[in-house]
This record gives sequence, C-alpha cells and structure tokens, in this order.
Amino acid sequence: MTALIRAQALSKKFGSKTVLDNLNFSLEAGDPIALIGPNGAGKTTLFSLLCGYISPSAGQLEILGHKPGSSSLFGRVSALPQDAQLDPNFSVQTQLEFYGRLQGMNPATAKAETARVLALVDLADNGKQKATALSHGMRKRVAIAQALLGQPELVMLDEPTAGLDPVNAMQVRKLIASLSKEATFIISSHNIFELERLCGTVLYLEHGRLQQQQPTHQQGVAGYLTVQLEPGDNQRVQLLLSQLPGVQKVELLQKNEFGLCYDRELCPDLDLTVLALLRAEGLPYRQLTLGRSLEQQLFSVVNG
Amino acid sequence: MTNFPAFVSHCALLARFELYRLVGSPRGWFALGAFSVIWYFLLRYPIFEASVQLQQPEVQGMLGRVFGMVGLHNLLNWPLPELSVYWLITLLLLPLVAVLTSADQTASDRSRGTLRFLTLRTSRSAIVLGRFAGQMLVQALLVLLSLLATLALAGWRLGSLPLAAFEHALIVWLNLLIVLAPFTALMALCSALVRSSKLAISLAIVGSGLLMGLLSTLIWYWPDFLWLLEYLPGAQLPLLLGEQGWNTLQYAALPLAQTAVLLTLAWLVMKGKAL
Repeated sequence: MTALIRAQALSKKFGSKTVLDNLNFSLEAGDPIALIGPNGAGKTTLFSLLCGYISPSAGQLEILGHKPGSSSLFGRVSALPQDAQLDPNFSVQTQLEFYGRLQGMNPATAKAETARVLALVDLADNGKQKATALSHGMRKRVAIAQALLGQPELVMLDEPTAGLDPVNAMQVRKLIASLSKEATFIISSHNIFELERLCGTVLYLEHGRLQQQQPTHQQGVAGYLTVQLEPGDNQRVQLLLSQLPGVQKVELLQKNEFGLCYDRELCPDLDLTVLALLRAEGLPYRQLTLGRSLEQQLFSVVNG
Repeated sequence: MTNFPAFVSHCALLARFELYRLVGSPRGWFALGAFSVIWYFLLRYPIFEASVQLQQPEVQGMLGRVFGMVGLHNLLNWPLPELSVYWLITLLLLPLVAVLTSADQTASDRSRGTLRFLTLRTSRSAIVLGRFAGQMLVQALLVLLSLLATLALAGWRLGSLPLAAFEHALIVWLNLLIVLAPFTALMALCSALVRSSKLAISLAIVGSGLLMGLLSTLIWYWPDFLWLLEYLPGAQLPLLLGEQGWNTLQYAALPLAQTAVLLTLAWLVMKGKAL
C-alpha cells in the first residue's frame, strides 16, 4: 500500500539557514494529522514543500507515490495555503468555478461544486462578491472552500482557524470532523486543544527537526488520568487523590488540574474511583480525561 | 508532461480566462474604454488626415522620394492609404503597448499568493503558456477591432472597399501578432522574475537599455559582432516597413524563434521560483 506521505532525509535550507533538517516520516491515510510546533519550527515550510511551492534542498518527499506538484496530484491534493488570496478582480464564484474547471469538471459540475463548497463554509449567499468585499474570516472560509472542491484525497490546512471568531472556528472544526472520513486532513495550528479534538496523529516540529510522531491519545490508556476541578483547596485534593489505591503520583498541572500516575493493573477503574471520591467529598469536577492531554504529552517529553 | 491533453486543456482555460479578464471585469472595461478613446484619436487624426493627404499627387511624389531613400517606398503601395498609415503607426507603437499591457502575466498573482491556488490544479508550464496565449488572444482581438475600425473609416471615405483591402488587413493582422509575440513573451519572462507589473515593465525597459548598451560597446570595439543586433526583438521592424503583402511573412521566423526562447526562459524561471 502506498503511503499517503513519505519523507526521507528531507531538508530545506534558505541560504545558510537550515529550516528543515533531515526529516524522516511516513503517514498513512485516515484520521486528521496535526502538525504542531512553535513559531519558526518549519511548519509552513513543510506545507510549502508538500504543496510543491518550493523544492527540497535534500532528501525525498512523496505524496501518494508522486513528487509534490506532480500533475498526477492535481485534484487529488488540495490545500489552504497561509496568506494566499484570491484575485480581487473577480467574484469568489467565478474563481472557484474556474478552479473546478482546471480540476477537470465541466461547467455545470464546476458551478454545482462551487455552490456546494460555499454552502459548507456558510457562504452560499456570498458567491457573487469579490474577495476584497469579504471580511478576513470570510476570506479564510472561502480559501477553505476552494480546498474542498471536487474529491481531494488529501487536504492540507495551514492555520485554518487563525483569525476566525469562536463561532466560525467551531464551524470549521465541525466541518473538518464531518469530512474526515472522505479525505485525510493535515492541519497546522497553534491551537493544541483544537488539534487534540480533531486529530489522530501528531507531528511535532521544533527547530526544523521532527521531535515526535505519535497518535494524539497514545499514552492515554497507559495509567494516567487528568482531573480538572472547580476552584478549591488544592493541597487537600492532592492529598485525597494520592491516598487512592494504585495511585503512584499526583501532579498539580495547572490551577485546579491534577495529573494522576497509576498502575492500571492494580486499579483498572480508577476513573470511577475518582468520581466516587469527588462525589463523596463534595468536590465538583469540570473534566476527567483518561491519559495526558496532547499539551502534556508533547511538552513533558520535549521539555524533560 | 505526463498528460498532454490535460496540459492543452489547462492552457486553453487559462487563456480564455485572460480574455474574460478583459470583458468580464471592471479593470478590463476600463482598458477597453481607454483603447477605444486612443483609437478614436488615432483614426480621426493621424490615420484619416494622413490618408487624405496621401491622395494628393504632390504629397505622394514627395513621400515617394523620401521613402525611396530609406527603403520604405512600398508604404505607398498599399491598396488603401489608411492601411499604410495604420501599418506604420502600429508597427512602431504596438510593441510598446504590448510591453505595458502584458506585464502582469504572473507577477501580482505570485505576490498575492493566487498562484498557490492555481498550482494545486495545473502545472507552472501551463500557467506560463496559458497566460501568454491569453495575452495574445486579447491582443489579437484588440488589433482586429482596430483594423475593422480602420477599414470602416476607409469604407466611409470611399463609399465601398476593394476586396484586396480585406486581404491586406488579414496580412497586417497576422504580421502584427507575429511582431507582438516576442514582446509579450519578454513580459512573460519579466513577470516571472519580479513581483509586480510595474517592476516587470521597469525590468524590461532597463534590461533592454542595458543590453543595447552592452551590445553597442561590444560592437564599438569588435564591429564583427554587428550581426548580434539583428537578433534583438523588433530587429525586423524596419525591414517589415519596407515590405508589403504576403512578402512580409518572410520575416516571421526570427520573432517566432525569439518567442520560443523567451517563453522557455520564462518557464525555467517560473519552475524554479518559490511560490
């Protein structure tokens, strides 16, 4: 089976600056994939390489068995490139229909597809407008709409919810979740909680190197429980939790958030035990998560 | 190119979209308006007045002697004086117009990021060739309209038009497209090199000036290299002015070869550019 994306010894330099350094990874089609990293980590450069906007300085990169930018990938791979804008001289509808035509659709299909994708991003009534007449958030949604034209197998979204208001950001997340059975999404974002909800695999880049590639919930079943409570006496709660049978260590992660390391064999139902304890002690909880949050997974490993 | 029919189809779609840019956008309407005004004045004054003057035997005699000295005596042998003047004006004027109007083939789309949307659906080579073809299509349409207006002016003056006038108009149209092709291809190259149409125009003008300066210096010291000047875009224009009828097409090979070379360079630049 051909991997969705395969990178071998992939490097990219701009002048003397190495932006991506010897990346090796292979990704399969399936659940959305998160691309995470601090500013300057090389996320957008990796996106640009995947889209064929730039060429690698060394190594190999393949998408569905082809080089990025290959004509074999037209219509199969789509993207929301960062900061790309539509032509201000034409309406959104005209341009999306044109893109559909380039993807091989006949005029009627291109028109219907344009209407479909604009409706998906809640812009069905804005097709006649030019991109310059739209707000920043609407332009972003139009750019997402163009990425959904046709039936792409791989959709790469660079910061899809950046600049969107919370309601529209939630709609975009819902949209990605609803379409993730039809195409594999790769999403770059700084919003780690968003990626945790959406994605099954995470690629963590830092200083141009791939620090981790793992399932987002890999360590979730390996004896760790995250408990978030209403504000209260943290010392008391920490003591109560640490006295539970099977619990090896209780960490205060953030204000009112505790991480419990425990032995799963000794206490397979610790979550139920914790809930019973909280109820008995009159401690209202906000969230109970099996495993570490993605943030903890990434930064507990990366930072020590 | 693995899929040639798709490549051709993409070029055709891109070219047609350029035509749509002319007739389907306010910017295009503005350009069409400016084109109409300019051609009204060109037809009304230089072309109409000169064609009336060319009917005078004494003017013909004087111009025959002057043009004969510089090898342009054929300018007076066109079936319509309007076509003579049109031929003279357009051969000298339209290459400059082509440089100015076809400067934004890819520059602002790359600057804006629009090319990122396009290259997910079509190849960079199709974009270069399609945009060039689109510019040629636009120029073909505009030249045709101006030629038809010139014929209409002559018809209005004469009451009817000889059949030869249409044949010569066709020759002029074909020749002008061949003349304009290398200038349009030059702008495809300049547009691929920079990120705005203004910079592309500046690059074309400054680059041409520098090239001419270098060649002139080279020829000053080594006169044997004089032949190099014959290979510059537009080098055939003085020869074309002295020809008439289908003979004019004998000079088509050079501009067509220049076009092919410049488009290849534009494609190579575009291929290596980060988007």
